[in-house]
Amino acid sequence: MSRHQTRATILSSLLMGLGQIYNRQFVKGALLVLFEAVSVTYFILNLRYALWGIVTLGENPRTAANMQPGEYDHSIFILIQSLITLLYLVVFLIIYYINIRDARKIGRERDQGNKVNNFKQSVRYILDYKFAQAFLSIPAIGILFFTVMPIIFMVMIAFTNYSSPNHVPPGKLVDWVGFDTFKNLLALKSWSHTFYGVLTWTIIWAVLSTVTTYFGGLLVALLINQKGIRFKGFWRTILIIPYAIPQLISLLVMRNMFNGEFGPINQYLGYFGLGGLPWLTDPFWAKVTVIIVNMWVGIPVSMLLIMGVLTTIPRDMYEAAEVDGASGYQKFRIITLPMILFTTAPTLIAQFAGNINNFNMIFLLTGGDPVKGDYQYAGATDLLVTWLYKLTLNQNRYNMASAVGIIIFLIIASFSIYNYRRTKSFKEEDMIQ
Amino acid sequence: MNFKKPFRKALVLIAAVTLVASMTACSPKSSGGSKGANTPAPSNAAENKGGNAVVQDGELMPEAGAELLVWESREEVAFTEEIARQFEEKYGVKVKIEEVAATDQVAKLTTDGPSGLGADVVIIPHDHLGNTAASGLILENDVFAEETKKNNTEASIIGATFDGKLYGYPRAAETTALFYNKSILPEPPKSFEELIDFGRTFTDKSKKKYALMWEAGNMYFNYPFIASGGGYLFGDNGTNKDDIGLAKEGVAEAMKVYQSLAEILPMNSGDINPDIKRGLFGAGDVAMDINGPWEVAGYKDALGENLGVAPLPTVNGKTAITFSGIKIYTVSSFTQYPNAAKLYAQFATTKEAQLLLNEKIGSVPTNLEALETDQIKNDPIVSGFAEQAKNSEPMPSIPEMANVWAPVNAAMAEIWNNKADPKVAMEKAITQIKDLNDGLNAE
Repeated sequence: MSRHQTRATILSSLLMGLGQIYNRQFVKGALLVLFEAVSVTYFILNLRYALWGIVTLGENPRTAANMQPGEYDHSIFILIQSLITLLYLVVFLIIYYINIRDARKIGRERDQGNKVNNFKQSVRYILDYKFAQAFLSIPAIGILFFTVMPIIFMVMIAFTNYSSPNHVPPGKLVDWVGFDTFKNLLALKSWSHTFYGVLTWTIIWAVLSTVTTYFGGLLVALLINQKGIRFKGFWRTILIIPYAIPQLISLLVMRNMFNGEFGPINQYLGYFGLGGLPWLTDPFWAKVTVIIVNMWVGIPVSMLLIMGVLTTIPRDMYEAAEVDGASGYQKFRIITLPMILFTTAPTLIAQFAGNINNFNMIFLLTGGDPVKGDYQYAGATDLLVTWLYKLTLNQNRYNMASAVGIIIFLIIASFSIYNYRRTKSFKEEDMIQ
Repeated sequence: MNFKKPFRKALVLIAAVTLVASMTACSPKSSGGSKGANTPAPSNAAENKGGNAVVQDGELMPEAGAELLVWESREEVAFTEEIARQFEEKYGVKVKIEEVAATDQVAKLTTDGPSGLGADVVIIPHDHLGNTAASGLILENDVFAEETKKNNTEASIIGATFDGKLYGYPRAAETTALFYNKSILPEPPKSFEELIDFGRTFTDKSKKKYALMWEAGNMYFNYPFIASGGGYLFGDNGTNKDDIGLAKEGVAEAMKVYQSLAEILPMNSGDINPDIKRGLFGAGDVAMDINGPWEVAGYKDALGENLGVAPLPTVNGKTAITFSGIKIYTVSSFTQYPNAAKLYAQFATTKEAQLLLNEKIGSVPTNLEALETDQIKNDPIVSGFAEQAKNSEPMPSIPEMANVWAPVNAAMAEIWNNKADPKVAMEKAITQIKDLNDGLNAE
């Protein structure tokens, strides 16, 4: 006895909503038919153009200045338009599938002799039982077109030759080049030398900046929390100030302070009869400088975090340790440190991932300088992310920048996933040993 | 609001007219669908084909309801605000100004133009003209071609021309020259040897006094130490990317002069930054600076009558050759109001406009009549630049130019800070430039 089920399924597969109409759900059916009519009209008008566009990325460059929009192809606009059409097609197919499943389900209900919901009841059923899905579908569509689509678009750019000066629309067209961009980045000497150099420094920077700020913060937090220390609030306030000043201001001031010739820091060193250091002009010292200044900016954050953790450690553990005759150092090593590490490990990994992309620090303090002649548009202190910025905004090499962006994403994503899984596993454990 | 009566009436009338015009002149949006995502509705196509301009009594007229967007750098925005005001008064066309540095405008036009967000009139340094014109981003200067050619210097017309077609409306000529403080140096030095002799008496590191301070790490200002020795960036007048003349025989000799200047400017080239230098020059702690006309206004405020500009001193007895550039206005090919845009570009480069620019910024005009006026003739600063401009070479405009800066600047730092051998450093730079060019051409 599956007559209705089969018929409704077949009818809905032929045309959206037919099965529902067969099932006597006229309003729902009509709405679906209307949706299909609108969509199919749209596809008839656009789908061929979209497929042509995504394959060829345009065929007519803008060769003369008096060509009007429509007379020439702009590869990048075509790519985005095609992407929108194809994403709409995906949405359409999903809705098509849901409609077939729905017709089949209602058909089965009818075969079993149950009453079919009318439109009012359907709406009520959705509001009562499927409320979350129904209302989340609206932002989901928004996310699809405003977040997912741009990301897909940017990833696609890495597989084209969209770059100045030879492939910038509308004067010149853009083509698909497959993995050539990545090959150039990883294997062609002039690019790979820069890439590996910048990547190495990025990793060194991320490790050092995370470790220094974390342990600096730990040290400061422990010092302030010592029993004998007075004016705790005052010290805390003082130490929070660097965090409270916008980096845009503090780092640009730092840039002048560290000037080798006129900066106050070297002048003070001069008063004590010490020679100044080339803080920002020597590749090695510039790297030291960004790490030192980053400590100044980053320690308050770790300090706050760790102070919070310190308050959660039960006092009786320390009392028990004292009864057992533990020294101050032993208390720290056996109780305080493991407790802090246990609680803050996920944050530590998150900070590490954040430091890989610490754009502000490098861009405002050194701008990536000092220059390195054998680097392709990068300086000695450039991180991958600031190099990407230069490639995009100064050199218009969008495909290379996109490839670098994808690689940064892979690095950070792997850390984040690892972090996420670790936090999961933390939940299983009850205590550390 | 204390306007005189007739003026207020006129204002109301203009407002009413523009309102009506903007309501009626809204061309229908191009029917979206396959091709029209945010592209500006095509205005009457005939207008854009050039030649068939809307002409009234032999005068080009702006389109009804036209509104213009122009880009201008922060340093020169005072001039543009004034010109925009006068333009609006004369033609009733509103001009909106956005702050974009001159060197960024081409890149911005490339991305924003096709989306209909770009400026209608852009300013480009002539070395970018080739790329911009070849990509079809700008309209030819057709309506005012005769006038432009007749009124401007030959060099500026060459700079505004690409492939035999005139695109630009020249606005100012630029080169670097020697700024000096007359209260310290009544007469500028004739040669770098002379300059170093003076420097030995004036420079005092402990008092923060320096005879000469300029951006020693930036190739743009140091081109004389390459070109005066017979060197060049690219051969065949800056068009042959494979012929890099940085290590020619005389270059090392000229670079030795550059190296010896570290004696009177004892500091790391990376520590010299324009802000600090400006402060020291204004306070009289720096006697000389090698710089371009964009600094004139600021230096004039600081030194007043004591500011002098002279051609650069000779290098090893040879005339110093500097980079030259022409700043030109061009009309974006994506503009919806080509007539109004052309009118604006013309209006902003007339004799009066160039004189105004000179007054506000201290630029060097390209307009022949403007050059003959007393304002310019009696302007010692401009004549100093004009003198140097005679011995200047236009900056190459091929795309490979982008790959020259970092290697040569790095070589300069080596030569200046680490006393590297100029020949070796420059040869290394050539290798690096060629490597980068390979990267540029990797498709």
